[in-house]
Amino acid sequence: MSALCVDVRGLRVRMPGADGADRVLVSGVDLALAPGESLAIVGESGSGKSLTARSLLALLPAGLVAEGHVEVAGTLISDPRLARPLHGRRIALLMQDPFTMLNPLRRVGAQLADGMPRAVRRDRRRRREEVARRLEEVGLSPEVADRYPIQLSGGMRQRVGIAAALVSDPEVLVADEPTTALDVTTQREILRLVRRIQHDRGMSFVMITHDLRVAFSMCERVMVMYAGRMLEVGPTAQIQAEPRHPYTAALLDAEPPVDERLASLPAPPGSVPAHDEVADRCPFADRCAHVTTVCTAGPPPLLEVGAGHVSACARIRELGPLRRDRGEAAAPPAPVSAGDRALLRVTGLGKSFHGAAAPALDAVDLLVARGETVGLVGESGSGKTTLARCVVGLETPTAGTIELSGRTFSSWDDLDGGEARRLRGVVQMVFQDPYSSLHPVRSVGATLADSLAAFGRPHGASDVAALLELVGLTPAHARRRPAALSGGERQRVAIARALAPEPELLVCDESVSALDVSVQAQVLDLLARLVRELDMALLFVTHDLAVVRQATQRVYVLRGGRCVEAGSTSQVLDAPTHPYTQELLDAVPREDRNWLS
Amino acid sequence: MATAWLRFLLGRLAGTAVVLLVLSFGIYCLVYLAPGSVEHTLLGNRPATEETRAAIRAQYHLDDPLLVQYWNWLAGALHGDLGTSIRSGEPVDVAISSRATLTLQLSTLGTLFALLLGIPAGIAAALRRGRAADQGIVVLSVAGLSAPPFAVGLLLLGLLAVKLGWFPVYGAGDGGLDRWWHLVLPATALAIGGAGLLVRFTRTSLVRELDQDYVVFARARGLGGVRVLRYALRNCAVPILTATGLVLTSILVGSVLVEVVFALPGLGSLLVDSVTFKDVPVVQGVALLLTILIALVNLAVDAAYAAADPRVSLVRRKR
Amino acid sequence: MSTPLPTDPSAAVPGGRRRRARPRRWPGTVVAVGLVVSGLALLAALVGPLFLPDATQQDVLLGVSQPSAAHPLGTDDLGRDVLQMVAVGARSSVLGALLIAAGSLLLGHLIGLPAGYRGGWVDQVAMRWTDLMFSLPALLVAIVVTGVVGGGYLLAVLTLVVLFSPGDTRVVRAAVLEQRQRPYVEAARLSNLRDRTIALRYVWPNIAPVVTGNAFLNFGFALVALSSLSFLGLGIAPGSADWGRMLADNRSLLLSNTWAVVTPGLAIILTAAAVNVVGDWLHRRLDERGLRR
Repeated sequence: MSALCVDVRGLRVRMPGADGADRVLVSGVDLALAPGESLAIVGESGSGKSLTARSLLALLPAGLVAEGHVEVAGTLISDPRLARPLHGRRIALLMQDPFTMLNPLRRVGAQLADGMPRAVRRDRRRRREEVARRLEEVGLSPEVADRYPIQLSGGMRQRVGIAAALVSDPEVLVADEPTTALDVTTQREILRLVRRIQHDRGMSFVMITHDLRVAFSMCERVMVMYAGRMLEVGPTAQIQAEPRHPYTAALLDAEPPVDERLASLPAPPGSVPAHDEVADRCPFADRCAHVTTVCTAGPPPLLEVGAGHVSACARIRELGPLRRDRGEAAAPPAPVSAGDRALLRVTGLGKSFHGAAAPALDAVDLLVARGETVGLVGESGSGKTTLARCVVGLETPTAGTIELSGRTFSSWDDLDGGEARRLRGVVQMVFQDPYSSLHPVRSVGATLADSLAAFGRPHGASDVAALLELVGLTPAHARRRPAALSGGERQRVAIARALAPEPELLVCDESVSALDVSVQAQVLDLLARLVRELDMALLFVTHDLAVVRQATQRVYVLRGGRCVEAGSTSQVLDAPTHPYTQELLDAVPREDRNWLS
Repeated sequence: MATAWLRFLLGRLAGTAVVLLVLSFGIYCLVYLAPGSVEHTLLGNRPATEETRAAIRAQYHLDDPLLVQYWNWLAGALHGDLGTSIRSGEPVDVAISSRATLTLQLSTLGTLFALLLGIPAGIAAALRRGRAADQGIVVLSVAGLSAPPFAVGLLLLGLLAVKLGWFPVYGAGDGGLDRWWHLVLPATALAIGGAGLLVRFTRTSLVRELDQDYVVFARARGLGGVRVLRYALRNCAVPILTATGLVLTSILVGSVLVEVVFALPGLGSLLVDSVTFKDVPVVQGVALLLTILIALVNLAVDAAYAAADPRVSLVRRKR
Repeated sequence: MSTPLPTDPSAAVPGGRRRRARPRRWPGTVVAVGLVVSGLALLAALVGPLFLPDATQQDVLLGVSQPSAAHPLGTDDLGRDVLQMVAVGARSSVLGALLIAAGSLLLGHLIGLPAGYRGGWVDQVAMRWTDLMFSLPALLVAIVVTGVVGGGYLLAVLTLVVLFSPGDTRVVRAAVLEQRQRPYVEAARLSNLRDRTIALRYVWPNIAPVVTGNAFLNFGFALVALSSLSFLGLGIAPGSADWGRMLADNRSLLLSNTWAVVTPGLAIILTAAAVNVVGDWLHRRLDERGLRR
């Protein structure tokens, strides 16, 4: 019997293929958790953090197999069936998406009751009381019990999810990115709630997150994963002050700060490789600034670098403590240009969707001057994306006017064909999801050639190559299909497509929010360079104030279809005048634990 | 809520009325345009005087223009008079009602068989997906889906009735239990295709539901296998209902052929006999009745959606 | 892309952790059998009558007979060889079903593509039309039309094309609507690409898997519908070599030569099932194109 709640040694997750060709997704993960202790597992997509968490419950997706020593609450899980009695009662899982985690056809109260002992379920009165008590613990009123999940907001659903996960009072709670699908202000509330309940109950807690700042503020210890391997594990305070693996340091540096604008974001080149591509060496070697032959000679050993602090960097002893490099502060952005150089002027724009209770946009004014970078910030439902889509002509506004490059109109539908074609060469858009914004079965080169041709530009192989090089790709990428590209590469292709007509205004709709933080930094740098070199204006739609700080000169804050504050970015973020802006600022994750108190 | 339902019902009613009008007018046009006249079918090759022909033409108003003929029929139909059969001289409503019972019994039994066979097999396949049992069930369901009911009927007839003598060969039996006994083989023939369809819908939707987050979450909370399956099945209700509607309508129509195979005196054999005889009033009557039945099935399926899925009714209530 | 044979992944794992198997493709053998059967049916339909010009030659003196060396599946009451009849009968049954599936696919595209891509009144009209057609019992209408008009085989095929097309129209339209709101289509619109280019070069390749799968499914149903009509004596001329017609004509031979009934029945079922299997397989292969590098 060990005193540990969770004891994992040598965990491996693999996907058995036909005729013995296995793929390994996770290997060499050790993890130990004492009662009441909290651990954050941090990594980018493909790091294996979620699979590690799922292995603790033996709930891997179909077709995956976990191996190694996995012991939870004193039970060795050598077979997934052995984990079943532990579910809910010893170890519980909170999942990422509150919109899909709850049974859509069952009332909240009934779903909570499903996890209760039979005696409570059968007794109507006790069941009602128990459900009300559980709802109260997560800050919901008893009436919520009679609702269906579809009638609740995302934050409320995630609270119900927490209550449901904890209904059998588990000793360990595993939370897999519990706030990624939520708005920033809701994220803070939910994190606060989880931390409070964890403290009150003295539960052990494993949190999966891609955000080091969230990890630091939530947990006592942090484990950094990369390409299915463990790179660094240690106490939060030590890693925060002095990361002992170059990847951890790079991850910290790539996170854009909200309080100052940097000349450029330091980001490691490339993207996260698959586990099997780098199984025989340090997985980070190809992107590391400190790489030598030692790093590629073989898999590095785990070195003890402090009390309870290990690192998988072979050179960490000679490198010494890694300084955190925040990058150089940029010169304050140029003063806001005058209205007479206006490229885009939106006046009193409104948009009501058929059947919706409130308008998505309500009398919004917006100005973008030539060569200017403007941010459009808000949470979901603020109307920021609707506004952007009205500007490029993907939605038809129901009120107001748009003035673009000297031509005023109330909607793109009013423009005649030639005029619309000309103006589409003036404004272009980059979408959020790089996985769905490219034709899946057309090669990258063909897609780009299509765009060049449609604008009457030369569209030979060399022109496509030039476009690809402009966004930091190679001419060889032209022959590939989107499926062969990483998320960052796809987003670069999407940007190249938008640049085909050499637009004067580039509208980016959450264009970096689906990307990993290191890739996000690369794309933000690329956009900054393009704006500079091509003398383009940028309208950047985002929910992330830190991104706004890095990418824009001026900013509009939207809420519920209205603009609540506008001004120069530094002014608005340094001294917000509207309480909502302040609320958004407070909600940006910070590394200190006080952020949540 | 109540008014929304009323509006929905009225809309459906109007839609069905339009369909019935189009269908009945279409049939009239067909007969009017088709080669071969009614009196020729009636008289066959017997010699007839010009007077007899004129009498027939007058009796069936065959010299009136198309629109007048149709209008007369429609006016009658709206008053509940569907006319008389040219072939037998029997009033159409009597001819139909004496045969509708058998068709309805056959369709009900067939649908029941299809549900009892298809849904459990679909669930079993989904729970064993990727294994041999699943592959076997899927292959069988594809074969069932591809099998025309009359061919299956003939094969069953040959094997179980003629060769083995387990079931009666022809006819509808003497009422009561004997009637149902006579309907077992034809109903099975009808059910095979429907069962194949139900397997497909049930398996696909259950496989999809079992992969959903809420199922994983329910398992992570320690809910037992049976309750997790109930969760998932409840969410499959809409596709399974859709399939059931399709099965019901296809069985109603398929019964036409199966009745011919088993020599059952139902609506189907009535229709086939009347079509070749150009017995317009009967054809009209049967076609309209089957169309109305199908409209009723679709209405019932739509109403069942709202009962099965609160999201459907919630959306409607919001409007 | 090869289709792996069914091997349970858990079998290979030492310690035998039982896991639910990954959803796998059709086992290779089933697809292979499907391809062979479909190919044979198509071959028989295309060249059968050329090689067996005397298949419908009657031999009334012989009459119905059990299987023998000269007639592997026996003869029918007119002394015609059952095996030859089935081989020759593939022409009207299989080619007719092929025509119906292809014709309704074409019609479905002609109406469904503009309806889904443009929307507006085109869509309204198209949807009213398909709604109307869907409330009609299709097979029943086919029976009435071919029965009353008595117009023969071609009319039966044409009627079924019209009756099948609303299904294709709906499938095409729904698939187009789904693709139309995807960012890659919106991006193409912003790129000034012409509507026709977007519809044909961007949208169509991505709805192809669904549409193709549906066309194969339709073939099976068309085969069934067409032989149903033949079975009732509608469409095809009496005495012709046609699978449905043979079933009707040989009904009374169940006792004297069972094969005369079983063979055409099995031919219909096996061909329809085989084509469905091939369609399923093709659908998945096309669907995976977007995942291939």
